[in-house]
Amino acid sequence: MSDSIALMTEGLHKSYGRVVALRGVDLEVRQGEIFGFLGPNGAGKTTTIRCLLDLIRPDSGTLRVLGMDPQADPVGVRARTGYLPGELNLDANLRVREVLRYFSQLRGAKMDWSQVPRLAQRLDLDLETPVKNLSKGNKQKVGVVQALMPQADLLLLDEPTSGLDPLMQQQVHRMLREACAGGATVFFSSHIISEVEALAEHVAIIRDGRIVEVAEPGRLVAMTLRRLHIRFQQPVDVAPLARIEGVSLVGAADRNGMHVTVQVEGEVDRLIKALAAFPVRDLETEHPSLEEVFLAYYQTGKAAGQEDH
Amino acid sequence: MMIEYKHNLRRMRGQIIGWGVGIALYGLMMVSLYDTINRIEGLQQLIDSYPPEFMAFFGGMTDLSSPQGYLDTYFFSYMTLIIGIFVVGAGGGLLAADEERGILDLVLAHPLSRAGLFAGRFLSMVTAIVLVLLLGWLSWAVPGGSTTLGLSWLQYLRPFLPLLAQLLVFGCLALFLSMVLPASRIAGMLSGALLFANFLLLGLAKLNDKLEPVVKLTPMYYYEGGKAINQINWGWSAGLLLAALALTVGAWVLFKGRDIRVAGERSWRIPGLRGRSERSARADRQAG
Repeated sequence: MSDSIALMTEGLHKSYGRVVALRGVDLEVRQGEIFGFLGPNGAGKTTTIRCLLDLIRPDSGTLRVLGMDPQADPVGVRARTGYLPGELNLDANLRVREVLRYFSQLRGAKMDWSQVPRLAQRLDLDLETPVKNLSKGNKQKVGVVQALMPQADLLLLDEPTSGLDPLMQQQVHRMLREACAGGATVFFSSHIISEVEALAEHVAIIRDGRIVEVAEPGRLVAMTLRRLHIRFQQPVDVAPLARIEGVSLVGAADRNGMHVTVQVEGEVDRLIKALAAFPVRDLETEHPSLEEVFLAYYQTGKAAGQEDH
Repeated sequence: MMIEYKHNLRRMRGQIIGWGVGIALYGLMMVSLYDTINRIEGLQQLIDSYPPEFMAFFGGMTDLSSPQGYLDTYFFSYMTLIIGIFVVGAGGGLLAADEERGILDLVLAHPLSRAGLFAGRFLSMVTAIVLVLLLGWLSWAVPGGSTTLGLSWLQYLRPFLPLLAQLLVFGCLALFLSMVLPASRIAGMLSGALLFANFLLLGLAKLNDKLEPVVKLTPMYYYEGGKAINQINWGWSAGLLLAALALTVGAWVLFKGRDIRVAGERSWRIPGLRGRSERSARADRQAG
């Protein structure tokens, strides 16, 4: 394996009894990059990440993390890795400071505690709050701080912005970019296309335990699927909207053409320009689930079409 | 390992203080009552008049006028059962409870080996049991000199050693079962049930000789209670410690090879016994 590869999996298989979670995952993440791992719930994102830390053992396949085999040297891998689990659970009887102190002690003398108040301040996290009093979002902040505080070479983050408000999401994105600029490799999972698109340099898309695509984030724009609920001030003929490329009507216009729902694949620009000619009262955007996006994307054969480009 | 040891011991401090102080207060009460009880006229005759079926469950020593009989009847005969409740809870939840809560996932993502985690937590459990027993011993040994019990601190200490061995067997059994059974609570409950069943069986065996071969296969048969004041049967205690060690090794082998579960995940399910919380958790996951 090349020195520039931070993380590699080859033919990774994992089953939980009769449930097959991974069906041959092949991944390669270069050192110093932000790599997004996109997939709907249950696709195998968490299972892959947990295999990388030897929390679970794959049935077959090869793993290398920072040049080490996690099963042969799990402590070596973990010493150089910061991890944020998808479902963060902390000892409810401790205060935030005590939890973070414990994690820093587990990392030994190398851990620089001065990082902790700085990170907590940036995330507006009170270190003296008991964990049991934390909201989901604040708990997630503790998770982010504990993952970033060791200034590890590799960050394995399972849905890092889950439960955070948009401002905090932006803050976490900034912190991850800074970590990357400092030389760390960031591998994060998400089921939100826009987040991966905004943050990642490369993206792997996992579905049903298989990597279906590894792409530049720009490719994700084509996969963007939105539903727009449009309310008009007066009845209109919505037929011209349906003729716009990538736009389809969802059901028929109701209330005498006063309200319509359209589905937009890809960029929304053409629709917005067309709507300028309509007496729009209100516009609501809805992001369908990633599974719906994948169904729309892969069932229409666009993936194959784009491969040819 | 030492960080995990200290951390887990700190987490157990409430239980150690609660159980230790409770046992110590009971010990203090019983040691202070010794002279009073011994002065009660006709008490021995009253005890002798109790049916043997009743007395069989109090260690079989009915001579309350002797320190051995007093300590055995009022303390050691059922301390395995009392402190055992704490011990099976501690053993069953030592690793599996945090695993079920999803806490272990993040702890083991730090540079801490499974061996270090297991050893640190196991030693903290042993220390917690020792501290509870230490408080119990102090409650007898410190004020004991001012009573007519007339025992040395070493004599008070001796019966605590077989008690420790006995408790370790059940604590390690709970730990082992927590690695086998789907939930730490089930492991704790089953170990507790076995502890109670063993206590009952031991009492019944004193009434029915036919149960003797069966009870010989159980740990409590090799528990001396207050009789150890004068002399410990080291062979029995060593045997119990070996049994505890075997269960610990078994638990370690299972822990070493297992997938660490995440919150709400069980290792396997008993058909038809799926709880409401599990169903709702599953529904939540599906909705999410």
